[in-house]
Amino acid sequence: MNRLAAAAKAVLERKIAPGLADNEAAIDEVMGNCADLLKRSFLLGGDRRVPGLLVCLDGMADLGTVEAILKELLPFAEGSLKRFPDDSEVEALPNFYLSSASTHTCETVGEAIAAVISGNAVLLFEGYGSGLIANARGWKERNVEEPSTENNLRGPRDGFSESIRTNTALVRRRIRDPMLRFAAMTVGTRTQTSINIAYIGDLVKEGLVDEVKRRLGRIRIDSVLESGYIEELIEDAPLSPFNTAQSTERPDKVASALLEGRVAIFVDNTPHVLIVPTFFWQFMQAPDDYYNRYWVGTFYRFVRYIAFMISLLLPSIYVMLVSFHQEMIPTSLALTIASGREIIPFPVLLEALIMEFAFELMREAGLRMPKPIGQAVSIVGSLIIGQAAVQAGLVSPFMVIVVAMTGISSFAIPGYTSSLAIRLLRFPLLIASGLFGLLGFATMAFALLLHVLSIHSFGEPYLAPASPYRPSDQRDMLLRVPIWMMDLRPEFAQDRERMEGSQMPKAPKEGQR
Amino acid sequence: MKKLNITNGMLVAMIVNMIYVKAIGVTQGVLARQIGQDMWIATLLGTLQGIGILYITHLAMRRTPDLDMIALGDRLLGKGFGTVVALLIFLFFLAAIGPVMITFVYHLQDYFLPEAPLSLFIVCALLVGALGCFYGLEVIARLALIGCAFIFLLNVLIVIGSFEEFDIRNLLPVLEQGLPRTLAASLHFDVDCALASMMAALVLPMLKSPQKEGGKVGMLGIATSGLMVIIWSILEGAVLSAEVTSRYTISCMKLARNAHIGEFLQRYEMIMIALYSISALFQVMFCLYGVSVCTARILRLKSIRPVILPCCLMLGTLGYWIVKDHFRAIVYLERYWPWVALPIGFGLPLVMLGLRLLMGRRLKGEAAAQR
Repeated sequence: MNRLAAAAKAVLERKIAPGLADNEAAIDEVMGNCADLLKRSFLLGGDRRVPGLLVCLDGMADLGTVEAILKELLPFAEGSLKRFPDDSEVEALPNFYLSSASTHTCETVGEAIAAVISGNAVLLFEGYGSGLIANARGWKERNVEEPSTENNLRGPRDGFSESIRTNTALVRRRIRDPMLRFAAMTVGTRTQTSINIAYIGDLVKEGLVDEVKRRLGRIRIDSVLESGYIEELIEDAPLSPFNTAQSTERPDKVASALLEGRVAIFVDNTPHVLIVPTFFWQFMQAPDDYYNRYWVGTFYRFVRYIAFMISLLLPSIYVMLVSFHQEMIPTSLALTIASGREIIPFPVLLEALIMEFAFELMREAGLRMPKPIGQAVSIVGSLIIGQAAVQAGLVSPFMVIVVAMTGISSFAIPGYTSSLAIRLLRFPLLIASGLFGLLGFATMAFALLLHVLSIHSFGEPYLAPASPYRPSDQRDMLLRVPIWMMDLRPEFAQDRERMEGSQMPKAPKEGQR
Repeated sequence: MKKLNITNGMLVAMIVNMIYVKAIGVTQGVLARQIGQDMWIATLLGTLQGIGILYITHLAMRRTPDLDMIALGDRLLGKGFGTVVALLIFLFFLAAIGPVMITFVYHLQDYFLPEAPLSLFIVCALLVGALGCFYGLEVIARLALIGCAFIFLLNVLIVIGSFEEFDIRNLLPVLEQGLPRTLAASLHFDVDCALASMMAALVLPMLKSPQKEGGKVGMLGIATSGLMVIIWSILEGAVLSAEVTSRYTISCMKLARNAHIGEFLQRYEMIMIALYSISALFQVMFCLYGVSVCTARILRLKSIRPVILPCCLMLGTLGYWIVKDHFRAIVYLERYWPWVALPIGFGLPLVMLGLRLLMGRRLKGEAAAQR
């Protein structure tokens, strides 16, 4: 710790002094000559005319609220004519002067400054050894908008924003259950990022909340700028490419997870909320599955599973077959492939690696560039360069189809973060298949499978309910059974009953119509 | 410490994976050479004997449900005897790497990658095996569940692909060489069941309630394996004929090559071998696990992780030596391996059961004292 930090730490631990000037000096010492720091001296209304100081941060506190607080405190204000008893403590002050909904006291300079930088107004008074914190938070925030990474056709359009309170409210609006709890924590010594742990008291998996709190409490870091920081610091398999904490921008997904007995972690300043425990299959499920009819939901879930297989395996299988096992390709197809590859100067593995890299390059460039240019780059890259490369004899038409299919399939996976993991895993599989054929493919695929089988998410096996096999949880894994058949919550939830008895709708009988 | 649990389904799957891989091809070839078209009857008889030996293994261990066979040996006649039991099981799994590697390597090398060096197959198999052992028995057991699903798919594919050429006349006459010779031939399937029996000797205590379920689950595992394998022995006999089957070391691959679905999909043995690979790698994994567990127990180590690599080297060297020469591999498979597998795989559970019956009072007394 350097000298400046040591000095600041000493001041922060100091008790609030009865002398107003001492406290103001302490705040100045810690916060320096901050451009956005507002300090407003005043005389407390009533008979005593106690000198006071209001401290807040411009931009973090709502100046309208701050002015309203000041108005209530100042001698000329109507309300301040009330007499504030001489022997009263600061805690009693709001009873006489303030109409703020939320006020509490602070005893140390550190507490006062923490409140100021969180957007509150701190009131200090001459002769009192404690300060008063009044809620004045108010900053510009993005409106509730449709999530950009998790689109759907049917279902709610609202998405999380950067404000933790807005986000918790979006969930609270969906679950009006008094058992829905939000436990608060702060992480990050410098950023002091607010974190809320959401769960439904009588549903959540036993011990899960304590485990989440334990892992969050273990974090020692200076800054948390996004929930990704938290995700990496609390996950079960830190070296794995797979996500063991699901991240979502959709309040309906979070609400659904909470109702299944899971826990959501809200981090301030990010629209991405984490859900734990997480299972691999959840990344294949989209909210539309539940909002559309179950036939449609199940069909598109199958489509996504096929997309997952294509995305992970197609390039490797193509390279393996063309390089080593040509006899396995049906004759007519083999001839078509061979005619396309006749003038290609590269071995198939290299050709595939170049094409995969080019695809990733276009994707990344399209993402980073300003939107209109990004689209142009994607179109130019995919159509013109692809066509030109085939005509120039650099890549075979079949390889273009394989890589395009792979790319499109990876976009069909609803969990964007998990599709990134699959993109990464394609490469070792591709290289192993290209170098050692079926042996390399099998070895790498089963090493991956073993790895996935070994990982857990907050004590739950990542591949559950397929492995270990949980029969009652199969209704929402490969298939999406009708809502009236989903009468049980997942096996780990405390209260498993989701609905009463069989509620399969029936048409009224002839006589009852 | 939390006790490691495997479910009943996992044990069934492990047994199926352990038996199936070698039994559908290598064993059927050996049986066809001995008793011709009655290989399916020999498989059936072997299955019944396997069910018996699994039950005997369960009987030997059920009074001490928390102890595997090595620990039971410790308890019965002291640590020296426990070490002898560990040595025997070690020897069993060490010798088992021969047939296991023959199955794995010849499937892939002879039919798909004839130019690839042999060492590559051994290294790849042991690499995946070592990874599985590193992750532990629970992961191995879960892999077996997936392997079992793949085995089911594989059977469906082979039935669909072979149905057109099925000729029941190839299976006639039944019991042409008489029951005694068929029974004698069934010992070759017993050798595969011995793998399951020794596996059960190590993993039965990890069941949730080995006392109640162990025997039932073990027998169900063997019965399921028998059912899965008999499909192949019937198809190999009826589609290829016993004569053709007897000419191949890996007769199942010949059947798989013959299989076709319609005109477009003339060859899909690679899909089948991909489905089969999990079980083949599971066998390698479990041999490595068995050797590592026994080594760790002999050396009185708490974890098997430090011994995985040395055991890999040991198994790799032996496997390489056996598989390198096809002739040596066949001789080992048909002559030497049964002489190791049957006395240990069937004999050890019988000896342990006998000892347990003789020393029952002592075990009871110790259990009461512990309580």
